[in-house]
Amino acid sequence: MKNNVLNIFILFFATFIVLESCSKESNVPESDPVAGMVKIASGYAAGAATYVNIYTKDSAFAGYNKLYIVLTDSITGNNIDNASVSLNPMMQMAMMSHSSPKENPASIAVNHVFEASVTFIMPSSGGTWTLKTNVFNNENGKQGVLNCTINVKPTTQQKLYSFISLSDNSSKYFVGIVEPSKPFVGINDCELVIYKKQSMMLFPADSSLTVVVTPEMPTMSHGSPNNINPVHIGNGHYKGKVNFTMTGFWRLNLTLKTGNTVSDSTNYIDLTF
Amino acid sequence: MKYFIQSLVCICFAGGLVARPLNDKDISDTIKPKELIPVKVYSLIKGANQPLVNFYIANKSATTEDILSRLPEMNMIRRGSYGMEPVLRSYSSGQTSLLIDGMRMHGACTDKMDPVSIYIEPQNLQSIQVQTTHGFHSGSVVGGSVNLKFATPTFNETSLFSGTVSSGYQSAANAVYHTGTFNYGTKRLALRTTVSYRNAQDYRSGGGVVIPFSQYQKINYGLSVKYALRNSWIAKTDILFDDGWNIGYPALPMDVGYAGARIVSLSMQNETGNNHFKQTEIKLYANSVRHYMDDSQRKNISIHMDMPGESNTYGAYIDSRLQFRNNTKINLKADITSTDLIASMTMYQSGQPPMFMLTWPDNRTMQSGIGATFIKQLDSTSGLAISTRADLFIKSLITQSAKDQLSVLNQPVSNVSRLLKNLSVQYNKTAGKKTKTTISVSYSERMPVSSELYGFYLFNANDGFDYIGNTNLVPENAINAEAGIVHKQTFFQLSLTGYATVIHQYITGVYQPTLSSMTIGANGVKSYQQIPRVFIAGVEAMIIAKPSSSLDLVSTSKFSYGKDYQNNPLPMIAPLKNTTSLRKIINKWAIQAETEWAFTQNRINPYSRETATQSYGIFNLRLMYDTPLLNNQLRVDTGIDNLLDNDYKEHLDWGRINRPGRNLYMQITLSF
Repeated sequence: MKNNVLNIFILFFATFIVLESCSKESNVPESDPVAGMVKIASGYAAGAATYVNIYTKDSAFAGYNKLYIVLTDSITGNNIDNASVSLNPMMQMAMMSHSSPKENPASIAVNHVFEASVTFIMPSSGGTWTLKTNVFNNENGKQGVLNCTINVKPTTQQKLYSFISLSDNSSKYFVGIVEPSKPFVGINDCELVIYKKQSMMLFPADSSLTVVVTPEMPTMSHGSPNNINPVHIGNGHYKGKVNFTMTGFWRLNLTLKTGNTVSDSTNYIDLTF
Repeated sequence: MKYFIQSLVCICFAGGLVARPLNDKDISDTIKPKELIPVKVYSLIKGANQPLVNFYIANKSATTEDILSRLPEMNMIRRGSYGMEPVLRSYSSGQTSLLIDGMRMHGACTDKMDPVSIYIEPQNLQSIQVQTTHGFHSGSVVGGSVNLKFATPTFNETSLFSGTVSSGYQSAANAVYHTGTFNYGTKRLALRTTVSYRNAQDYRSGGGVVIPFSQYQKINYGLSVKYALRNSWIAKTDILFDDGWNIGYPALPMDVGYAGARIVSLSMQNETGNNHFKQTEIKLYANSVRHYMDDSQRKNISIHMDMPGESNTYGAYIDSRLQFRNNTKINLKADITSTDLIASMTMYQSGQPPMFMLTWPDNRTMQSGIGATFIKQLDSTSGLAISTRADLFIKSLITQSAKDQLSVLNQPVSNVSRLLKNLSVQYNKTAGKKTKTTISVSYSERMPVSSELYGFYLFNANDGFDYIGNTNLVPENAINAEAGIVHKQTFFQLSLTGYATVIHQYITGVYQPTLSSMTIGANGVKSYQQIPRVFIAGVEAMIIAKPSSSLDLVSTSKFSYGKDYQNNPLPMIAPLKNTTSLRKIINKWAIQAETEWAFTQNRINPYSRETATQSYGIFNLRLMYDTPLLNNQLRVDTGIDNLLDNDYKEHLDWGRINRPGRNLYMQITLSF
């Protein structure tokens, strides 16, 4: 008798747990694609009946920043998933102004997010960064623009650098790091972006350089084995592998070549994890 | 028991060992052609009519490693005055196995600072069983095995309490050693408990130079309980704890802050046996080692680091000995173990985050094996033994971070499974009742050890290279041949053993010029690779003589030779070494003079940055006094090691650091 009571109690308890877990699952909301991200700009793209939110994973910094753009209909509040968005970052300094490299998103959002990038080539400390976001809402055929000031923070470690090519002593290039964004001990993706400065306003992607990456722990003066030099995969992105044998402060020494001529071998990108 | 431990040579030491008296009865005993599969047993136990002195235990405060170093088959790699690594013949530690009372146990130090023998004190031991290349009772090995067999409590018809307490001092290291052993036995229940404490300071080498960082301290405590069940089974449990701290390693860049072991086992033994089963033992065990390297005492270190390691082993075995009518015996053993190893390194540089990496990426070794030895007496003068064993090993990396890290070396990180096969055949023949000849051949395989598979930039202070593992390694395999002859006369016994081994797929570190070292100041990186073959051979000789009833002489010599397939000498091969002891008993006194000498070793390996080692010779003088005292027994051991205060080192000593100089010691033991 005692056992039966116990069994019934256990059965009841188990049922309760099952029901509870089922009800929880059915109530799970659609995951927020920009949860935990930092909103760096927002506002109405006047004329397009569109509200624009721009996020980054961390605060905007001097280097390659991935931007996550979410558009909503300013009346219904529904997500807009089909739009042509073009970005125009602009640095206004005392005596001059210049733009920076960027990648506009595809016109169809993925999970309501348009992914883009801006490579801020200096922090806001030297002037003011504004980001002009031009939205052509393909769903209603309207167009509008949002202008926002962006606070671009300096980095404690070098994530971006520029150099004048030794091969012609005139071409200026910018090199930024995309991956590893979360470095770990093991084989990491190594993805760089390289842009060539054509004018103050134009920074087209470069595909002409050869990259040699040599990781090093400056504190220990050792490197790591079996790295794979990044090669161009499109749009100025160069992809390879970089290996870390321990945690700590690592430096990626980069040698860039034009053909067989070394264009630059004095620069590096630093990582600490 | 006796037919298993067929002792070709049986030397007792212990609280006083002694070569057995050589009378005719002994000779006929030893020569009976039942001694197959030569497990040599070196007993530590006190015999009933124990003579006063022993030859092999150098002095009463000797450590287990001191005792091992005096066995004819053994040499020791010395990195400090503590933590010496036993080398059986000239095989590497991966090629041999060191068992603790039949249990597998793995040190927790990536730099081999803690061979498991350091966690065992002589008082824990009943005997040391050395099995050379024939027979695989202890596992798949190409170079033999050593089993440190635990002492057991003794039953007593009338409840009896007995024990010994001992206390002593050694001058060279200003060291003390205190130990106690207590036994309580009734008809069915027996308990034995032991405790010991050692504290040694930096020792003084020959000529007076004090060797810094050669100190150590340790405590060892054990409990063994045995209970006789009514159905002729005996249940037994052994618990052994060992804690060492502040252990210096002068030949290494780091010391040890703490090294501790916990060993627990539960077994059932049946020794009377029914039908064909004459003896059966079933054992379950677990052991665990924690080892923390420490460089905080060292000066002029560019980066301080912590290097903790741990090992956890669980295992079980069943061991049965069967006997059949037609002079046939079969030993069967099945065993299974699982060993987890983890070791890491964290380096600290001010103003920077700690640098952390795994030196043994978390890994697990699962082993299961089954072995059988078939022993047949062919006629009154000859016998045959065939031993076979198969082992399945599965080694795996058990965490994603371990896999991620090791993948940097561009190697597969999936499980490594290997099936190992072993076979040996031994034949013996007795001629003229005084001479017994034994020959054997065997094929054996051994699994690469975790450091060889997974080691991650493990610094070897002897050759100055960082070593990285290689998960592509396959088992080494070896063809061994061994021949032994024992000749006995009334006052004299000579035994001579020769062996030769060709090891294929020999695992060794090979310099990798394309890799950069991680340790600051290292010479480069070596990766474990397999070279086609090496050749190892050697001779061991022993003379035991008893010219008169009060005079004994024991002399052992060992020599080994090794070369690789390109005729380069193998590294770490000890030169010819001889130890000779002469003992005279006068009433309650015994005096013993010893010499120990070794040749120069000029055969050195160029790739290991070895240097030649000079010959040396030292003298020891020992005096012993044993007397009854108020129903108890008092024994005083005193003497001088390295009487002439010679400065010397052996070829296997790392760092060219001199061994202790003149050492006066005294140990007083009271048995009750």
